[in-house]
Amino acid sequence: MTILWAKADYDAQDVRYQILIGEGTEKKMVAEFPANSHYVRDVKWPWWTRPDRPEAHQFNLKSGKGLEFKNGTPYAVTVAVVKGAERVEALPAQAIPEPNWVNWNQMNNLLLVLLFGAVVLGSIQTAKQRDIFLRRIPGLDAVDEAIGRATELGKPILYLTGAGDMSEPSTIAAAVILGRVAKRVAAYETDLLVPHRDPIVMAVCQEITKQSYLEAGKPDVFKEDSNFFITTDQFSYTAAVDGIMLRRKPAANFFMGSYFAEALLLTETGASTGAIQIAGTDSDHQLPFFVTTCDYTLIGEELYAASAYLSREPIQVGTLRGQDVGKGFILGVLALGTILATVGVLFRTDWPRIMLDLFKDLK
Amino acid sequence: MNFAERMLHIDRRIIFLVIGVCTLLPLLYPVGLAIKVSPEVRGVHDYIEALPEGSVFLLSMDYDPASKPELYPQAVALLRQAFRKNLRVIGMTLWLPGTGLADQVMTQVAREMGKVSGKDYVFLGWSPGSGSLIINMGQDLYKAFPTDYYGQPTRELAVLKGTQTLRDVNYVVSLAAGTSGIETWYVYGKDKYKFELGGGCTGVIAPGLYPLLRSGQINGLIGGLRGAAEYEVLIGQKERAVAGMDAQSATHFAIIVLVILCNVFYLLIRTSRKQGEAR
Amino acid sequence: MIFLRRQLPLVITFVMGVVFAAQYYVPHPRSELMLTEVTKWLQIIGIFALVLGVTSLFHIHAVKIRRKEPGWGYSLVLYAGIFGTIAAGFSYSSTASQWVNGKETINGIMTAFGWIYLNMMVPLQGSMFALLAFFIASAAYRSFRARSREAALLLIAAVIVMMGRVPLGEMLLPASGDVTQWILNVLNASVRRAILIGISLGAVALSLKIIFGIERAYLGGGKE
Repeated sequence: MTILWAKADYDAQDVRYQILIGEGTEKKMVAEFPANSHYVRDVKWPWWTRPDRPEAHQFNLKSGKGLEFKNGTPYAVTVAVVKGAERVEALPAQAIPEPNWVNWNQMNNLLLVLLFGAVVLGSIQTAKQRDIFLRRIPGLDAVDEAIGRATELGKPILYLTGAGDMSEPSTIAAAVILGRVAKRVAAYETDLLVPHRDPIVMAVCQEITKQSYLEAGKPDVFKEDSNFFITTDQFSYTAAVDGIMLRRKPAANFFMGSYFAEALLLTETGASTGAIQIAGTDSDHQLPFFVTTCDYTLIGEELYAASAYLSREPIQVGTLRGQDVGKGFILGVLALGTILATVGVLFRTDWPRIMLDLFKDLK
Repeated sequence: MNFAERMLHIDRRIIFLVIGVCTLLPLLYPVGLAIKVSPEVRGVHDYIEALPEGSVFLLSMDYDPASKPELYPQAVALLRQAFRKNLRVIGMTLWLPGTGLADQVMTQVAREMGKVSGKDYVFLGWSPGSGSLIINMGQDLYKAFPTDYYGQPTRELAVLKGTQTLRDVNYVVSLAAGTSGIETWYVYGKDKYKFELGGGCTGVIAPGLYPLLRSGQINGLIGGLRGAAEYEVLIGQKERAVAGMDAQSATHFAIIVLVILCNVFYLLIRTSRKQGEAR
Repeated sequence: MIFLRRQLPLVITFVMGVVFAAQYYVPHPRSELMLTEVTKWLQIIGIFALVLGVTSLFHIHAVKIRRKEPGWGYSLVLYAGIFGTIAAGFSYSSTASQWVNGKETINGIMTAFGWIYLNMMVPLQGSMFALLAFFIASAAYRSFRARSREAALLLIAAVIVMMGRVPLGEMLLPASGDVTQWILNVLNASVRRAILIGISLGAVALSLKIIFGIERAYLGGGKE
């Protein structure tokens, strides 16, 4: 419940406002505060939902902690002013709470999501009609080099798709890159080992690998058990993969997808076997470990970009372009917002809030 | 291969031995170095200290046994402070493997502080869903957890009187070892149900949570064993975490010395190669 | 069959995706009730995923044992471990005079399940995590080299932060604590924020593609 009343000439630190709910003997005080506080301008509501002028008083009452508002029930609300021994009560106002269908405070959020969605879908359409330029990802040269090295040495290639499930963008990117790696591996007839933590990811990657071998013209070389499930438990999986690395000694290790604490345990063990190691992850807390222990690391969105670059699928390329447009927009907003906020503080003016509120509280 | 090259390719097991000794010796012979408290840890402590008696404090212990050394001391310190302040404590976990540890720490600290289950604290245990569970708790705590971990109906517990939803909780702290954790509590909890949120986490994920701290989405962050040690200093009960800081000091310095040495050898090799090429 | 495998999941994804994206902006109690009901379904489905994982595990190791593949003995150990722990979890505790029901302690008395948890799972998981400390040291020794100006800058920052995060470092170099705080709160926070924005945009884009049926990799299988 939002209570509004006009600013008064006597508003000062030594004067107090009281908020009262109820009528007659059932009246009870629910809040008390200095009269020079609780203005509309102090409340964190955006300008399009402000109920009154910035200099008016506003107090918000919420259900819970001793106060329960029921929809459809009338409540009498009064504001009282207390100065020293003097006390004056305003006439009570009636209010009937009703549930809201729309949270207008979040409309900026909805608008920007719809805008971003339109940009992504538009970019995908554009990508279907023409070629969109993507710069070459340096890590991809390293992928080809690693596969070539493994073939020369006659050792297998180990490919990990990370800890995530198929709903994560990094796992999808890892699966796409696996397709490309599997195609090369099929052409050279090198062994491919893909241990998994998730049965659904395993099923998807099995199909992708099979398809890649078919496209490479080597369906007879494809092994059903190249993709195999180990366990979902983090460290049990890590111990099993470390064992595979030490026994089979793959010449190339690929760590694509999202990882947690097991990252360093995997990569350091791989490094001890002398394998060439390439990682790609959006798990920023594990990036330092990958960068120090791997020969090449695709950082964050380079992983998504690599999968788009390799597949050249309009959906992947268009999405990447849409994200880049989104990032460019946010950069512009950050720069403009900083200037406007500085202007607002320097000249003590309120008009920059018109734009700043549009980008406030975005989730 | 000259000395510098041999040192650069030294057997890893020697490095492991150095680290092992640097960890073990300070634990056996503690020094007790002074620990400076950071503002982010103080943020959590001061908020709890300011809560009036009878306030509802929810501690979500979202970690598994692997993260016990860093997060268990944090849980002990937080619970000691909460029980000393006579807050109504709700314990739970979003991580199934951590249920036993969470139960153990709550029971142990409650017994030490003379608190009674059902009256002063409740341990709800684990329920599947993470984000969905938090949403359910935000709508109706009793429906999300009809019974506590020991099978007692939650509606009948004195400690939960007047706490219908997460909106009635005064402060939530999530001790997180990864996902689901602090970010889950913010996205599905604080954003919707508007309670105050603090965090504790392992050292490796702490830097990633600073954006949430700087923007006010969490009001404090206890990072790793160092954070636990700072909290123990704040509550005046120095135990495992403070003892562990001596070992951490020695290990950090061992790594610094090793890194400096490897760079010295690397520069020596580079210089001698350049001199060789110049000739 | 194609309808059940392809069209129906896409329709469900689209309807539920749009409805619950809109739900975020609708504070009406009916909308909140709908959200509560659906989150309960999510919790139930989560349990099915657990069953799926365990069933896959059993199947793969059963095949390994049947074919006597290399390492099949470990598969037997896995079976023994799983069934032993399940049996301990469902057993009757004579000391506590009640069924264990998956509890580690009953009225302060440790159960067999609790013994397995505290004396096997906790030390084993802790040991695996503790290996990281040793691996970090060996990785740092092998790779933290000042090969370029940027690498040297990174190295200096790493040394300062390592010193600033321990009492010995703050004692020897008092400024390291404050510099570490500045690095964490200013440099680190701003860069992490940038990475988070990028990743979040990626997640929003992926979610929109899944809702509108453009991204179908999660359904399994290759191209149609």
